[in-house]
Amino acid sequence: MSTDLSHFKDAFFEESQEHLTTIEEGLLQLEQRPGDIDLLNRIFRGAHSIKGNSGMFGFTAVSQFTHKMESVLDQLRSSQMVVTVAITDLLLQSLDCLKTLIDCARTGAAPDEAHVAALGGRLEACQGTPAPGQATAVPAADERSLPLGTHRFTISWAPPRYLFQRGLDPAQFLKELAGLGTVTHLALDAGRLPVLTELDPEQCYLGWTLELETGKDLKVIDAVFDFVREDSTLTIVDNPVETHPTAAVSDVAKPLGEILVETGVVSQSQLNQALSQQKKVGEILVEQKVATPEQISEALKKQSEGAVPAKKAETPSIRVDTVKIDRLINLVGELVITQSMLSDLGSRFEMSQLPVLLERVAQLERNTREIQERVMGIRMVPIGNAFSRFPRLVRDLSGKAGKKIQLILSGEETELDKTVIESIGDPLTHLVRNSADHGLEPPDERLAAGKPEQGIIRLNAFHEGGSICITVEDDGRGLNRDKILAKGIKQGLIAESDKLSDEQIWMLIFKPGFSTAEKVTDVSGRGVGMDVVKRNIEGLGGTVSIKTVTGKGTTFTLKLPLTLAIIEGMTVRVGQDTYIVPLLSILESIQPKREMLKSIVGKGELVNVRGTYLPLMRLYDVFRLEPELSDPTKAILLILETEGERVAVMVDEILGQQQVVIKSMEQNFRKIEGVAGATILGDGTVGFILDVRGLLNIARQGTAKAA
Amino acid sequence: MATQELTSKDSNQQMGITTDGSQFLTFQLGEELYGVDILRVQEIKGYTAVTRIPNTPAHIKGVLNLRGTIVPIVELRTKFGMPTIEYTMFTVIVVVVVKEKIMGLVVDAVSDVLDIDKKDIQPAPQFGAQVDVSFLNGIGKAGDKLVALLDMDRLLTDGDMQEATKAAA
Repeated sequence: MSTDLSHFKDAFFEESQEHLTTIEEGLLQLEQRPGDIDLLNRIFRGAHSIKGNSGMFGFTAVSQFTHKMESVLDQLRSSQMVVTVAITDLLLQSLDCLKTLIDCARTGAAPDEAHVAALGGRLEACQGTPAPGQATAVPAADERSLPLGTHRFTISWAPPRYLFQRGLDPAQFLKELAGLGTVTHLALDAGRLPVLTELDPEQCYLGWTLELETGKDLKVIDAVFDFVREDSTLTIVDNPVETHPTAAVSDVAKPLGEILVETGVVSQSQLNQALSQQKKVGEILVEQKVATPEQISEALKKQSEGAVPAKKAETPSIRVDTVKIDRLINLVGELVITQSMLSDLGSRFEMSQLPVLLERVAQLERNTREIQERVMGIRMVPIGNAFSRFPRLVRDLSGKAGKKIQLILSGEETELDKTVIESIGDPLTHLVRNSADHGLEPPDERLAAGKPEQGIIRLNAFHEGGSICITVEDDGRGLNRDKILAKGIKQGLIAESDKLSDEQIWMLIFKPGFSTAEKVTDVSGRGVGMDVVKRNIEGLGGTVSIKTVTGKGTTFTLKLPLTLAIIEGMTVRVGQDTYIVPLLSILESIQPKREMLKSIVGKGELVNVRGTYLPLMRLYDVFRLEPELSDPTKAILLILETEGERVAVMVDEILGQQQVVIKSMEQNFRKIEGVAGATILGDGTVGFILDVRGLLNIARQGTAKAA
Repeated sequence: MATQELTSKDSNQQMGITTDGSQFLTFQLGEELYGVDILRVQEIKGYTAVTRIPNTPAHIKGVLNLRGTIVPIVELRTKFGMPTIEYTMFTVIVVVVVKEKIMGLVVDAVSDVLDIDKKDIQPAPQFGAQVDVSFLNGIGKAGDKLVALLDMDRLLTDGDMQEATKAAA
């Protein structure tokens, strides 16, 4: 039973994530189209679903908080309030808070009550605000400005046992309470129920806890229980966070600041200044000596820690288009038919039927291949999922950096493997941050350069051959060749005498610790990030390249394999061993002539390919194998490229080209330098997939030793 | 699983009783008898050709495709510094699970599954065995047979898995 429930809970968390995304996207769009009722409805529905579901699972904190958001949304929807930047800001903050609450519910961590309460208060406060205006950044003092006399009572009531014997019905009491206001939450306490054999049907064992929002005061509530007060266990709490003693003072539901501005006591700018001085809950508590700074920082730490394990608790799952499943089922049906046809044939096989057999085997092959493709297709999801976080990110960044940024997304429907999508999220975030922070200039600089004030970041995804390309493009200042070069020399990454191509210089920014930013901001500039981007992308078997024009902008292009599970490979032979070379890294294969070869003492061999000297690497040397051929003019040289570096790898023979399914070596063994993974070959034996980067590393170490 | 069920039935028939000791799958390397905890054994399969892994120590024989999983195969003779022999029809791969990793051990031949009482297990002597004693949990006595009980965790995690950098250098 409990496992069943946890299963539903998982579904709830997953669905909530979707609703949260819907709400976030909606809110961001709302800024552009404030009057869009459809959009508001969609946001509202999302919030409503979360509220309903969380209530069902007893995540009271979540449902209560969502309720407050929902009320604001409802007022927006019914045009009682107008969408302003301030309100969307508040709603977005609330959304973040809601995310944390849901994560807390999942991990069982304690949420930051003060933060939740503060946001809840602000949500309630802004509801009272009629129409537009500076409901903006509602200050702490104004949190109390709820409509006059609204109380939120938490009532827990356990009636006396003899309740029924006196002819009283607990439902009547609850109804009466409901008549006084709105019951926002009702929970049954069945903790005192005895086992069935001891249960006396004429006794009342139950209790209730409910939350009531009402304009009436404590006395009226208390009076409901007049008849049963004596033997009841009754507590009525006037919720301190949400009761608003000062509300009685102000007869209008306006924030204090707003009234002050209206009456001319202060100016709007003075008010804003005051608001900016508004302190964080923690600081206030410390000042009032309620809590020590240590306690606060401890609590903050807990808050931030709470978010981390949540990720691990997520069970990976995937939502698949039913059409895809249906097609797959059809195919499996065909496969079953082919199989039964084959076994039918096998049971009474004669040599004369050989053509029939061959034909059916061919059909089986077709079925299998198609099923393989379809099953891989199930893992393919549109990249839009990974893009969806960026509108929010860019919005926050533009606020922080004081730049105007427009984000243009395209190619969201491009499909790629779910694992790839999950792994490119962070690198993409780094790149977008980088573009926003370093790439785009501040507005005045842009205007001076004759560009529009608003900078543009463009994210695009598209298929190219067997891989997917994702570009992050900005129309900012572009990379500064001299600055990067100077910095590179200063940091000892390159020597002054080195002659580098533009491409090689751009690649310097991917070195760990490299940053040309004059000042470090909290967004980027610390010199960490770009190297991580490169490492992550290469870990996925992809490449990063940069195109930049000074003053015009920079484009980062990520090239990734469509899927991590299958690659197109060239099978090659060295002596008795078979290896697979990823097709993507092969430029060409040649059989060199004697005069193309050169050997340099201590530096190894070189091969001249149309005027360019490439290092020659004998695979049998690197892997210590016994080759069939040791003369390069008789063997085959594969020209491989990785990260702009080229190398000629010598093998005995090329066997053919095939798709290979990548199997992990690390699962049962460990990583092997020069080997990217293993695969099962047609004859059932294991073949290794070469890792070109790793090969280069081995070769370098080898020559370093020799020299 | 099938292996385990089978062996426990067999040994019950042999011994008639179950004791509080453990069961060990025993196998031969040269003249000596070695044992591994039966719960570590996933399956036993006949020897098939493996794919060698470049730049690995000699006792890492290679990898094998075990129903779609890549499983490293360790040549126990080489690991223990014994001379290699021609493989025969008795040569088998004992597939064991060590710290959630699956590995295969090439041995000369498997023999019985033995119940060895705790009191019949003695600490390994410092001399006498052809094996580096640090890989032994102890010497077990079952009837007139002496069995060198292998410490799987020590044997197969020691060095083998961390040698990546060394081997590459």
